[in-house]
Formats: sequence, structure tokens, C-alpha cells
Amino acid sequence: MQREQRTRNCLTPISRYPDVPHGSKVQWLGLARALMTALVLSCIALPLHAAEEEAHVLMLYGLDPYLPPFLAMDKAMRESLAGETERRAVYFSESLDSQRFAMEKLEPELVALLEKKYKALRIDVVVAVSRTALDFFERHGEQLWPGARVVYMGFLGYESKPSALPPGASAVVSFLDVAGTIDIARRSQPGARRIVVVSGAAEVDRRAQQQAREALAKLHERVPVEFLSGLPLPELVARVAAEPPDSIVIYLVLFRDRGGRPYDPLEVLRAVVKTSRAPVYGAVETYIGLGAVAGSVGSYESRGRLIAEQVRRALAGGPPDPSRTVLAAPNRCVADARALQRWSLDAERLPSGCEIRFKDVPIWRQYWWQIALTLAIVAAQATLIVALFAQRRRRRVAEQTEQAQRAVLARASRLALAGELTGAIAHEINQPLGAILTNADAGDLMLDSGRDRRDELRAILANIRRDDLRASEVIQRLRDLLGKQKFERREFDLNDVVSDLESIMRAEARRRGVVLELRRAPETLAIMGDRVQIQQVLINLVLNAMDAVADESEVRRTVVVSVAKGEGGAVLAVRDRGRGIAPEHRTKLFESFFSTKPTGMGLGLSIARTIVEAHGGHVWAESGPDEGTVFQVELPLAIANGAPSPRPA
Amino acid sequence: MSTTPLIHVVDDDPSMRTALLLLLGEVGFEVRGYSSTGEFLLQPLPDRPGCLLLDVRLPGPSGLELQAALQRQGIMLPIVFLTGHGNVDSSVRAMKAGAVDFLTKPVKRDILLDAVQRALARDATQRAAREEAERVQTRFASLTPRQREVFDLIVAGKLNKQIADELGIAERTVKREREQVMAKLDANSAVDLGRLAELLQRSSSR
Repeated sequence: MQREQRTRNCLTPISRYPDVPHGSKVQWLGLARALMTALVLSCIALPLHAAEEEAHVLMLYGLDPYLPPFLAMDKAMRESLAGETERRAVYFSESLDSQRFAMEKLEPELVALLEKKYKALRIDVVVAVSRTALDFFERHGEQLWPGARVVYMGFLGYESKPSALPPGASAVVSFLDVAGTIDIARRSQPGARRIVVVSGAAEVDRRAQQQAREALAKLHERVPVEFLSGLPLPELVARVAAEPPDSIVIYLVLFRDRGGRPYDPLEVLRAVVKTSRAPVYGAVETYIGLGAVAGSVGSYESRGRLIAEQVRRALAGGPPDPSRTVLAAPNRCVADARALQRWSLDAERLPSGCEIRFKDVPIWRQYWWQIALTLAIVAAQATLIVALFAQRRRRRVAEQTEQAQRAVLARASRLALAGELTGAIAHEINQPLGAILTNADAGDLMLDSGRDRRDELRAILANIRRDDLRASEVIQRLRDLLGKQKFERREFDLNDVVSDLESIMRAEARRRGVVLELRRAPETLAIMGDRVQIQQVLINLVLNAMDAVADESEVRRTVVVSVAKGEGGAVLAVRDRGRGIAPEHRTKLFESFFSTKPTGMGLGLSIARTIVEAHGGHVWAESGPDEGTVFQVELPLAIANGAPSPRPA
Repeated sequence: MSTTPLIHVVDDDPSMRTALLLLLGEVGFEVRGYSSTGEFLLQPLPDRPGCLLLDVRLPGPSGLELQAALQRQGIMLPIVFLTGHGNVDSSVRAMKAGAVDFLTKPVKRDILLDAVQRALARDATQRAAREEAERVQTRFASLTPRQREVFDLIVAGKLNKQIADELGIAERTVKREREQVMAKLDANSAVDLGRLAELLQRSSSR
């Protein structure tokens, strides 16, 4: 209302101005052109400088240029033109807004204004958007923008036929595809019992309505149709709201009601959709998104691109290509997912290939490749981690298995050693047992003597206790040697291992008539590992050495065990004065099942080497003829205590 | 000369040795302990009843080696072997060489004392035989050369006449010498003389 009044107040006086005479303007422009070409450096009008490089495109809108479809179209056109033309395009725009203003009254003043604005500016192409704009160009184009080619954008197909175009004009038209939209509606609602077609009273509105009538007439099935034409908005909204849900509402376009009141067709659509229980369809792209369910629409973007093509051709000059004079933007099915959901319509019923907009695109679909990439990386990492863990576990299991097997083998070997030492061990145990028994017998006799010999008896008991402990100590050592199966990692002094040899091997050495000499190192030699296994290695080497000197004369029946600190750690050496190792046997010394002894299993040295290597050390033998043999075991010292402590400065 | 038997104990294990000495001492024997064969050999061996309790395994020469060495020296001290871990081989060797017994530790008191008693008995027997042989030897030494000749022929089973013929002397002289020999040697018959001859032969062959 207010706007209507203001329009009249402002514009009515202007309409009284007389038209500018045509002839004088042409003459003036001719002079201007002469000046322009003659005086290149003239400062009459700044744009003239760039005249040769720039292409001037005037967008002439018959309607409000800020309607969203026009903005989308304009954007697409400019993007499409950018960089495509030899000359840089410079855009100007004018709006007639004939739907809302009484253009017929304003036109003389508008023309006068435009004449002033453009008298020093060459326009190469005028893009006339809507029939109103084209009509205006036909009336005043030659006067205002002499030499300009016109590209017509007819947004309703019925408006233009190639024959109706002015000479030299080209056009982009799109057809208001009412038939297609009705078809979509029928597919979407096969059980619809009524079709309601909404349109306005403006001429554009009426033409659209006519098109709808024609399309509906062609329908095979007869469905009751009601046309709501030119109703004032409140009445229209009420009527549509009264429609049952199984009706189809086709909203065409409404610029004016029958009382002449102007509307924004999009606002009308919004109001209608708001209260309608029946689904609303529309044939204009911008309707989809404002509440309409679906429609066969032409994309404004594609229209923009087609306009760009026509503009490009117009700028290039030359005769127009008859086959490309009129370009038609294609129509296609577009639907609104939200509206489909609101009216509980099934998207499956829409024609195949129908673009569903405003779908709540799940985040994974929107960013599918980023997500896929992330997932792939995560999966790859996870796989890698799992693989590494699996590998590590496999290796650990393998290591544990190997260690367990080594421990079992080592124990079996120790049992064999114990077998060899049986005589000595029995002797070691029998000795204290014998002493105990004899002491007990002596004590018995003392008691029988009847005298008080308490002190002597106490001494005997002390002896018995000592011998008992001695026997149990032997058993404990045996248990240490034989009972344990697991590999234990502890720090110990290698000297102690040598000292233990004293108690374990003394009896055996005596039995064999061999002198066993043990030499400890002066300092602590800390080793990290399994003490019993190292003990086993040493016993093995000592037994071998004793075997080596078994047949020697008494002076040579000596085995020396020594331990000392070497360069690479602690070195155990077992030296005998036997006949040495035959050269052909030396390489096979540490192999399994190699033995020169008639009863030898050939496992002792191979197990000894396995044990030593498991401790990070190595074992080797040196032998010369008649010099005897030295077996040496080098073991790394434990870091913590093995490293020499720094001396005070 | 003390009549208490002296028992020698050779064992390198101090506990065992001490226990044995204590027990045997308690039983009433006199005892001496040695830790090795060498130590035993270095000690002068008193001439008195006794026996040797000997370990087989010893540092240096073994018990069996000591046994052999003693035999070579003519020392008849009876030996009871006592070992911690005896085997058939060494026990057979020991017994063949005249050991009284071969005992395994731990040994029961009765068995040990029984073996010791047997060893002492043997020692007594040997000792008695040796004393008798010595006595006979002394008496034999008192015979004149002629009397020895007569003795030899009597022991050889010759009659007086045969002896007289062989020696070229009168049968009466033979008879008188024979009586002298019988008196000097404290014998009653030719059979007694034969036994003495055997005794003398054994002791002289040593």
C-alpha cells in the first residue's frame, strides 16, 4: 500500500516531461563519435580511453534485477564470460521494474536520464531481460545505445518467437514447462483427485495460466481442475488451505491480483505453501527451495551461460547465425527433499534423474572423499599397528619358545651331567650321612656308660647338626642344578660360579684323581643372566677337561679353572694338560651330536655354546699338540655394576 | 706292651673321621686318625694288636694302593675298607688282596664293630702264628748243624736207619740226635716236627 502511494507521488510528475527529439540526439552522438575517434587523448569522458579494449555490456532488466533467479543468472553469465572474450567485459545495468512502477508514465523522463548517462558511453551489447526490457530497447535502443546489439532473455517461452525479435537480435528463452510440472505432480501423486492451478491477473500471469490450460487439456486422464486466478493473497491462501491433502496445487506465477495489487511471486508462494495441506508444485527454479515440492524447471544458471554465449557472439560481430539466434534453456525435474518429507511424498515416484535438492546430506556424503581418505589412513595405520603388534607378538612367542626349548635342552643336558657326577654326588651325601650315623652311635654308647658326659654329647650333637646341614646343602645344590627349568635373568658374580665348582666338583675330581685348581678374579665380575646355566657350562667344560687328562700321568692330571676380566667382558678359562684336540675335530667341536667319547651324546658343548650365546657371549677353544686345551668363555659384564667406576681425580 | 687294640682310621673327611674315632674310642679301643695314606705311612706303626679302617677314595694314593703297599712291606695289619660309594670292582680287588671286609657308608655300629672284631681276631691269630714261628725259629737256631740235617731228614719222612746210611753215621747216633732235636724244639712226635717244618718254611719264605 505504502509503496504504491509513494510510487505514484514520486513518479507521476516525471511522466509529464516531453520526449527528447530523436534527430538531435543522433546528430549529437555522431559528433561525439567523431570526436572520440579523432581525439584519442581527449578527456571528455573517462571510459573513452578504454573504449577499444573494453566490451561494454548493459544489463537491462524489465523486472527487479535483485530477484534471486536474476542474481544467479547474472553470476553465471559473468563467470562464463570472464576470460572468454578478447576484450574485458564491463557491465552496466538499468532496471525498468515495470511490474511495480507505471512505466508508461515514467518512460520519457527515464529515457531523458538514460540519454544523459550514456551519451558519451558506447554500449556494445544490451541484454534485455524480459519482454518489457526488449520492448523498451525496440523503442529507444537506437537512440540511447546506437550500434548496440541486443540479446533477449525471455524467461517465459511463449513471449518470444524468432520472428518477433528485432533485427540483429538474438535470444535465450526458457519455456515455462507447465505440462512437465503437471506430469511430475501426477507421478508424485497418482491418486490425486483434484488439481488446483494458481496464477495472477497480470499479463504474464495470464499467459502462464493459458499455458497450463493447454497442457491440462492434453492430459489423458480426466482430473477435476480448478483455476484460482488473480485472487487477493488472503483469499488465495484460505482457498488453498482448504484443499484436501490428496489435491495437487500448481503454482504458476502471481505478479498482480485482479484488483491490480502487485506481488512478489515468491512471497505469494511462501504464503500459499505455509498453510497448504496439499502439495504445491511450481515450474520456476526458485520455487523449489521456497516450499514447492517439485517442478520441471529451467536452471537460471544455464540461462546465464547461454546468455554469455549470445553476448560473446554479439561482441564478435558478423552476421548472426540463424540456427543459434534463439537458444532454449533445457528444463528438468528438480525436487525439494524437505517438501517431499513434509507432504509424505515418495521421491521414488519422481521421474528418474530428478534432482533432489536440500537433502540433509549426511556428512559422510558431503565430505565423502575427505572422510574416505581419513578412514583409509586410519585403517592403514590401524592395520600397520595391528600388523606390528602381531609381528612383535609372534617374535616374542618365537623367542619365548626358543628360550623355553633352550631351557629344556639345557636341563636335559644338566641331568646328563648329573648322571656323570652321580658317584661324586653320592659320596658327597654319604659322607655326612655316615658321620651322622656314627656320631649317633657314639652318643648312644656314651649314654650307656652311665657317666655324666653332657659336654661330649653336646659336641656330638653339634657335629651331627653340621653334617646334616652339609648333606642338605649338597641336595640343595643339586636341586638348583636340576630342578629349575625356566630361564632366570639375574645379576651374579662370576667368581661365585667358580667357587661353587669347589663343592660340586671336588669329589668328582678326587674320584678321578685329578687336581682341580680354581682361580678367582680379584674384582667382582657381575654378569646378567642365568647363574645355573653358566654353572652348567663350566661343569661341562671341567668334566671335558677331566676326561682329557684321564689317561695322563699323575703330573698332568690337573685342570685349572680361572676367571679374569678381559677386554670384551669376563673371561672364564678351563685349561687341561691333555693331548689337545685333533685338528680335524676342531671345527666340529661345538656341533650337536659330535663326540669323540664312546659314551658321549655330543650335546654338552653345543648346549654350552647355545647358553653362552644366549647370554651375549661366545665360547672358543685353543689347543696345541701336547700343550693341552683351553676352553674360554667370554661373557659381557652387566652394565650397572660391571662398568668401572670413575676414579676420583 | 699294651693289650688294648689300636685302631687306625684313615679318612679324609674330618667329620667322618672324628665320628669314627669317637665311636671306637667309646667302645674301648685306642684310636688314631689320619687324613691320607701318606700321613698313615709317615707315622711309625707300633707293634701292638689293632687293625686299619681305610677309606677307598682318598686324596693322593687310594686305600687300595695303601693296602698293596702294606702287603709289600710285610705289614699284616688287617684292613676293613669303608667307602662312601663302593663299587664291585674295587670291593673285589680289596677282598682278593686280603681285606677283612668292605663296608659302605653310612655303616651301622654293629656291622662296623663286628668287622673290627673280626679284623682284631685275625690280627690276634696272625700275631700268635707269628710269635710261634719266631719261637720255633729261636729253638731251631739252637740246633747243631748235625741236628738240622737229622731234622730235615726226619721231616722228609726218613727212618733212623735210612738217616744213618745217608749221613754215614751210626743209627744209635741218629737216635740220640733225634731225641736232642725233639727236646730242643719241644716236639713229641715226627708229626709235630713236620708241622714245625712247615711253619719254619713259611716264615723263612717271607
